[in-house]
Amino acid sequence: MADPKGFLRTTRETPKRRPVDLRLRDWNEVYEDFEPKTLMGQAGRCMDCGIPFCHQGCPLGNLIPEWNTLVWRDDWAAAIERLHATNNFPEFTGTLCPAPCETSCVLGINDDPVTIKQVEIEIIDRAWAEGWVKPRPAAVKTGRRVAVVGSGPAGLAAAQQLTRVGHDVVVFERADRIGGLLRYGIPEFKMAKHRLDRRLEQMRAEGTEFRAGVEVGVDITAEDLRAGFDAVVLAGGATAWRDLPAPGRELTGIHQAMEYLPPANRVQEGDLDHSPIDAAGKHVVIIGGGDTGADCLGTAHRQGAASVTQLEIMPTPPPRRGEAHPWPTYPMIYRVSSAHEEGGERLYSVNTSEFLGTEDGAVRALRLVDVEMQDGRFVPVPDSDRELPCDLVFLAMGFVGPEKSKLLEALGVEYDVRGNVARDSSFMTNVSGVFSAGDIGRGQSLIVWAIAEGRATAAGVDRMLTGREVLPAPIRPTDRPLT
Amino acid sequence: MGLISPPPHHDIYSIEDIKQLIHDLKNANPKARVHVKLVSEVGVGTVAAGVAKAYSDVVLISGHDGGTGASPLSSIKHAGTPWELGLAETQQTLIANKLRDRIVVQADGQLKTGRDVVIAALLGAEEFGFATAPLVVSGCIMMRVCHLDTCPVGVATQNPALRAKFAGKPEFVVNFFEFVAQEVREYLAAIGFRTLEEAVGRTEMLDTRHAVRHWKAAGLDLSPILHVPGGDEADRDTPRHCVREQDHGLDKALDNTLIQLSEGALNAGERVRLDLPVRNVNRTVGTMLGYELTRRWGGAGLTDDTIAITLTGTAGQSFGAFVPKGITLRLIGDANDYVGKGLSGGRIVVRPHPGAQFTAEQNIIAGNVILYGATSGETFLRGIVGERFCVRNSGALAVVEGVGDHGCEYMTGGRVVVLGPTGRNFAAGMSGGVAYLLDLDPRRINPEMVDLDPLDDDDREFLADAVTRHHTETGSAVAHALLADWDASVGRFGKVMPKDFKRVLAARAAAQRDGRDVNEAIMEAAHG
Repeated sequence: MADPKGFLRTTRETPKRRPVDLRLRDWNEVYEDFEPKTLMGQAGRCMDCGIPFCHQGCPLGNLIPEWNTLVWRDDWAAAIERLHATNNFPEFTGTLCPAPCETSCVLGINDDPVTIKQVEIEIIDRAWAEGWVKPRPAAVKTGRRVAVVGSGPAGLAAAQQLTRVGHDVVVFERADRIGGLLRYGIPEFKMAKHRLDRRLEQMRAEGTEFRAGVEVGVDITAEDLRAGFDAVVLAGGATAWRDLPAPGRELTGIHQAMEYLPPANRVQEGDLDHSPIDAAGKHVVIIGGGDTGADCLGTAHRQGAASVTQLEIMPTPPPRRGEAHPWPTYPMIYRVSSAHEEGGERLYSVNTSEFLGTEDGAVRALRLVDVEMQDGRFVPVPDSDRELPCDLVFLAMGFVGPEKSKLLEALGVEYDVRGNVARDSSFMTNVSGVFSAGDIGRGQSLIVWAIAEGRATAAGVDRMLTGREVLPAPIRPTDRPLT
Repeated sequence: MGLISPPPHHDIYSIEDIKQLIHDLKNANPKARVHVKLVSEVGVGTVAAGVAKAYSDVVLISGHDGGTGASPLSSIKHAGTPWELGLAETQQTLIANKLRDRIVVQADGQLKTGRDVVIAALLGAEEFGFATAPLVVSGCIMMRVCHLDTCPVGVATQNPALRAKFAGKPEFVVNFFEFVAQEVREYLAAIGFRTLEEAVGRTEMLDTRHAVRHWKAAGLDLSPILHVPGGDEADRDTPRHCVREQDHGLDKALDNTLIQLSEGALNAGERVRLDLPVRNVNRTVGTMLGYELTRRWGGAGLTDDTIAITLTGTAGQSFGAFVPKGITLRLIGDANDYVGKGLSGGRIVVRPHPGAQFTAEQNIIAGNVILYGATSGETFLRGIVGERFCVRNSGALAVVEGVGDHGCEYMTGGRVVVLGPTGRNFAAGMSGGVAYLLDLDPRRINPEMVDLDPLDDDDREFLADAVTRHHTETGSAVAHALLADWDASVGRFGKVMPKDFKRVLAARAAAQRDGRDVNEAIMEAAHG
């Protein structure tokens, strides 16, 4: 056990974010380094609970009390071994995960929870720095070939798991670089892309083959794919975005978040000098108050936006857990991400009724109306109409499910009632040998769920191909977070 | 200071021992029911039958799923069987031996729902124990640190900062049990019973087909568990639940006489002097008198020697058990086992009859397990006593002229003076209190938790007083000889001092010297 009285002696402490005016001038990650001694004290706050609810909070089933204890004992090599035992990519979750483990931490019942996410990222950073993260190629090859379509966290996790048990895995990606949302969705300041690149390097060394710039179903037909591979994992994500069909939607200057973020990331990759959608000097409105909206917010500020306003249809969430979100659920509370800290205004309980344009067809303002919830529906508040001037509008209102692509059509997969690719208990679709992993089967979700999906799908694929049960399946397709 | 947990019951090594303990406890409070808790395991029925014959009012069959968060993992994982099995065996054995009518059967071990209650009732229980479920209802999150004083929800801790975090309310527990009761009613109604009592032991009402149909249960024959001894027809009238009380035989106790003769003291605190004969059939002498005294005067009792009783003869088992402050028992003759068990402030003196032809300090004056679990009071015994002397003593003073094996085992407080030979394994697991041994032989001591220290001035002063009083009370020849040349004699004593206790005493002394809070300093020292 870690320090039995650590939580009584030490208070929660997280690393500082770099000063706002400094970090807005670059695209580097926003957090400062954390003193290892402080971090070890934080790990020592873990109580090694009789019933560790963090195990349930984390869909990967991360062995959190174990590596907390190891960090507290200064045994980092053993800690990364325990961390990698359940999580292929701790550097992704350590930077991007909203940490449902921390909201389910037992200490959080009446105190500040353990800084689990910070311990996680420090373990993996240390492991990379020490050279402990090495390729782990399979000892014996099975000769079976698996195609993974989509290279986001779910696809990569499935690919790594399957490669490591001896299958020949090829990852297809329609974009020009591997990584999916990790590559072009997540801004550099949230997760630096070198984290992704070095992990891909490890996977290549293990024998995973990557083919970027190939749209399966177009560049390769579904028949060829089936003929060339013993199993197919569909991991294309839930990329069909939600739109706002209000009058004036066709005006220029209105973009989906996922039209805006990729070119901004390409600038960082060195592909472009300037993004075609540049917020510099513009008045920006972001419709949608979630994480994608925050990514647009941070990106717009770094591009030099004149002002940024973020709109949310839901009312302002409470500062602390309400009765509707008891421990250990993930609560809807007012959170201030690094992007929110950097500026911008947040408006709640507002709906956009119309986009107003200039004579040459560019957006000049939004018509807003306050709304309130009545019997489960948003109802406009009378006489609350107003205009919000703007030059650029980003829609970050979530994703409705997978794109009904040519590949899915050609394969003939069935969908569930929510429009996601349906699968059985081993993550296999109605088409034998074709599996679905991640948001494509679950709908939009968290990165940690995507990795869990990838791992669990790999277990299903391996069982089908070899009949053995060697890979772990942390979740079932029907598992959902506790609400 | 460390306390050995789980506690070993060194006063119980046989069914006779437990019978005696039940009798002692019944004397200590005749109005209370005596429960015996048994671990559900193969053969528990036989033990339960023995317990019923030993006049326990209640037998509790405790299943393997339960347990405190402080229990060792080995106990949690590997001890016992499900309560269903133990309960069924107990019920059948009690009925078969015509004992069921005079003992209440209770079941526990992770009972959580009304369904559990009804099944337990049908298998033969009429009372039901809940602990984990109501604890969880009031905020327990099963941290399994009950023994570490770090319970983060304030359920099992002495730390005021953590206790402040306790968020439970009595209403939660009330609410939980109302749900359980409601579910019990629903099941009873479905079976066709009006009261829970009607359901007790009616195993024929248990429908096992659904469970047995499961593939994992295929081939399982549950009929031995559901069997009712004697069959339905022959034993229709054989009670399947408790219908009468145990006969504890308290009306035959010598204490009835003692109570009658001590009315003046019990009612008005007057001094009472009695002189009576005693025989070995008079068990647990003084205990019921002590109960009457405590009932009327509370835990503080009366001033020492308010009731002074001199008894002549051979006392039965448990002479002076649980006797409170205000009662002095002087026995001229000898005593059996358990003298001064649980002594709670009273005084006990045992000395041989003046006409005895033997040498007192070379002969046994009393039996085994003397002063087991005593908390306060004092005892002077002129002669040698048996094994397990002063086990779990936590505050009483004892002077004796020789002890058998395992003396002062698990002692946590009080002082013991031995003016004679000591058996082996002395002071095993002793975490508190002090023992002074004449001509101490280090080979007799279990050194795991104690040091052998030289005497200081306080020790010498205490010993002089204790030996003098031993001489005054018992006319001891050994004490007389020691006192004749005390300056030489006192050097013959060795001190057995628990290491933890020494650290706590040092912390207390330092705190007093520096004017710090004594309790705080002791807690610091104890927690290391």
